[in-house]
Amino acid sequence: MKFFRDMRILAIIGVLGLVAGWLPGSAWAQVHVDQSGRRVDVPASPQRLVTLAASLTEMVFALGAGNRICGVERFSDYPPAARDLPKVGSYISPDLEKIVALRPDLCLAIKDGNPRYVVDRLQSLGIPVYVVDPHKVTGVIATLKEIGRLLNVEGRAGKLAAALTHRYQRIKGLAAQAVRRPRVFFQIGISPIVSAGSHTFIDELITTAGGLNLAAGKVPYPRFSQEQILALQPELIIITSMARGGGFEQVKAGWESWQTLPAARHHRIFLVDSDIMDRPSPRLLDGLELLFRLIHPELAGELSGKLP
Amino acid sequence: MSWSSLSLGRRLLWVVLLGTLLLGISLVLGLCLGSTPAGWRRNLAALLGLSGPHDVLATIIWRIRWPRAVLAGLVGATLSLGGLVFQALLRNPLADPYILGVSGGSAVGAIAGLLAGLAPFPGVALLAFMGSMGTLMLVLVITASEPGARKNSLLLAGVMVNAFCSAVIIFLVSITQDARLHNMLHWLMGDLSIAAPGQTTLLICLLIPCFLAILALARPLNLLLMGAETASYLGLNVALTSRILLVVTSLMVSVAVCQSGLVGFVGLVVPHLFRLRLGPDHRLLIPACVLGGGSYLIMCDVVSRVLPSQGEMPVGVITAMVGAPLFVLLLMRSR
Amino acid sequence: MPAAVSAKHLQVSYNGQPVLRDLCLEVPAGAFFIIIGPNSSGKTTLLRALAGAVQPQQGHVEIWGKPISHFAPKSLARLVAVVPQRVATDIPFTVQEVVLMGRSPHLGLMGLEQPRDLELAMEAMTVTRVNHLARRPLMQLSGGELQRVIIARALCQQPRLLLLDEPTAALDPAHQVSIMDLMAQLRAERGLTVVMVSHDLNLAAMYGQQLLLMQEGKSMHSGPPAEVLTYEKLEQVYGCAMLVDENPLGRVPRVTLVPKRFLGPPLG
Repeated sequence: MKFFRDMRILAIIGVLGLVAGWLPGSAWAQVHVDQSGRRVDVPASPQRLVTLAASLTEMVFALGAGNRICGVERFSDYPPAARDLPKVGSYISPDLEKIVALRPDLCLAIKDGNPRYVVDRLQSLGIPVYVVDPHKVTGVIATLKEIGRLLNVEGRAGKLAAALTHRYQRIKGLAAQAVRRPRVFFQIGISPIVSAGSHTFIDELITTAGGLNLAAGKVPYPRFSQEQILALQPELIIITSMARGGGFEQVKAGWESWQTLPAARHHRIFLVDSDIMDRPSPRLLDGLELLFRLIHPELAGELSGKLP
Repeated sequence: MSWSSLSLGRRLLWVVLLGTLLLGISLVLGLCLGSTPAGWRRNLAALLGLSGPHDVLATIIWRIRWPRAVLAGLVGATLSLGGLVFQALLRNPLADPYILGVSGGSAVGAIAGLLAGLAPFPGVALLAFMGSMGTLMLVLVITASEPGARKNSLLLAGVMVNAFCSAVIIFLVSITQDARLHNMLHWLMGDLSIAAPGQTTLLICLLIPCFLAILALARPLNLLLMGAETASYLGLNVALTSRILLVVTSLMVSVAVCQSGLVGFVGLVVPHLFRLRLGPDHRLLIPACVLGGGSYLIMCDVVSRVLPSQGEMPVGVITAMVGAPLFVLLLMRSR
Repeated sequence: MPAAVSAKHLQVSYNGQPVLRDLCLEVPAGAFFIIIGPNSSGKTTLLRALAGAVQPQQGHVEIWGKPISHFAPKSLARLVAVVPQRVATDIPFTVQEVVLMGRSPHLGLMGLEQPRDLELAMEAMTVTRVNHLARRPLMQLSGGELQRVIIARALCQQPRLLLLDEPTAALDPAHQVSIMDLMAQLRAERGLTVVMVSHDLNLAAMYGQQLLLMQEGKSMHSGPPAEVLTYEKLEQVYGCAMLVDENPLGRVPRVTLVPKRFLGPPLG
């Protein structure tokens, strides 16, 4: 089926190319409109990808297309196989020349992170850049399907999306059974103390897992003083860390010394891996399930029994 | 000794010859070195356009490294020349091209632009330029009411305006939390990575006339070094000349800075290096600073590109790390 | 023929403090004119006003009959050269470079000096006897050498009027005489008009054709040395006892300071 469709496209392109008198690589392309509204010529089945964000690397690997990636953004550390791929610099200022040298036929970029001028500059150098802009868990799942379509692995993308949607719905259902929403303070910065407001993945995960995000509000990443947190009386404090070094342990110990905090009294201060909480990748569901276990341990029994 | 016995014309010829050679070498290095290693044969072929139209190396060399090297050269030349002029004009060896608040003003403008989510060119660049022109006007207005002791009041007004601007910058930086913060810090440390061909053409058109204007004022700059009163006895219209120099220099520095961010140290080190070697005559120093300062920043940019780092190193880090020890070394050897 | 330089009712004050009060003066072309007077009598300010470096609040200065404010800076510098009291020596220019700066008013914006300019500089350095120092940096010179370099620079301007501010201060007698002789020689050979501020009454008496004695910004007396340098006038202006007699060298006055112990019987 798929083979026939490819053949048909090839035939059409071949005829068009003959009529026009040329047949360069770009004639293979299809025009797509990406999530930032740009029109992009994407080759029918891109084989050399550069992912400009760690989350995009994870998505492509999750779709089973990791072997097509020829370059990744420097923080791409998951899955472990991604660590050995050539790095193309940071997502803010990628190394243009390295990207060009890798001769990608498609770059994947993310709107919240890769600056627009980097995207434009790459495009002007003849490299198609497809920009995604996932918001919410459902947006991540939809983006996965979209990238699956671009990479010609729709079948696998569909299955993955279905599995992720199922896990999401299950947590949502379980959280609905909870009698009350514990007050959660989610700390992502040590000094200053920074948390995540509404319209962030972290906020969505906390809310979906049946917690109350104490930092909810317009500011995406608001700052807090120690006394504000004491006044907020969180029942849980969750601290994210990239590397579980002494710094974070110390912060945890620091909070535990405040016995006026309900979270400290009930020993509900936890360290979690930030990568599964704020990267718009399939691992967000791992983060969601972990949060649910921490926030509603009384309901988590049902979850562990049904883990795939 | 033999150097000073040459006539000025001869010395000028040598400076221009050696400077052009140095600039040529650094441009070739700037084109051939980068994160993509290639043998000299392939580099040569790509440089000469013999490698075919679809060669990746040729694309990298001519569409990524070339505009970047040209931007580095222009910015380096502008900052060195700016430092040279301000050091003479204010008779202060510590003066740098940012002394009149150009850096503070353009940083405030650039950061406002980044906060508003504008593109680096022309959006951020334009705001940066407007910011530096704003502070320059402010400094000139503050000092205009004070006819005596102009030199010191200029310095003082510049320092004050810069201090105020850096407070505004820190305020803006500290209320920003997202990815734009990274952009701001990059800008404040100097960033040449976004050079695009159109930008560099515009820069050339704006900067070369400024260089020529300053070169035309080389002799007046020598006279100004002897002090304002002596200069006026030697037939110089000191007020007019200083004003022209102030405005032209600040203008060109703002034009350069709004494209490159705050590349530090070039304007301080390069003029002094050449002064140690060539003496105080601006007719030699101006071409030397343009050619040598350009080469210096191109080389520093090459270093920042080939250093084994994950991603781009801001070029301002290299200019300071290379420049300071180099300067101290030369100073000690010249004693 | 108009006077080389004349000042009409000059009034200059700094921060409301009057420095020159209604000062008039006239220096005939080709004269050796010396301005004398006690400290803070306004001599230097007068010289700077004559050079156009100070704008008087009232009155004006004329150079060969033309108001000084009508001159472009460059054309003024071709007519009038100034040897200031102090010059910047912190910049490592060589003697030759500094002397060549005197050619500035005759050169275009960018142009390098032509062989003719180098010749003139060499000549000026020969006249002031600093040609052997040509490649020396300014900061390595002695006071006397420096003064002669600055005079060479002024001569390089090919002026018709030379203004000097205490060129012999801080010089030993040999250097004092050599500079004064040089001025007299230039005046005689080239018809240069020389206006000089000096503290040395005897040098003024021996070299000056016309003297101006100033006090508190006012012109007290002017005329030939024999008229101005009388003990009454000097004691009135300087406020100390002075002995004036005829100089054994010729018919010019000689001024001798009188120490206190010669003034009368010691007290007690």
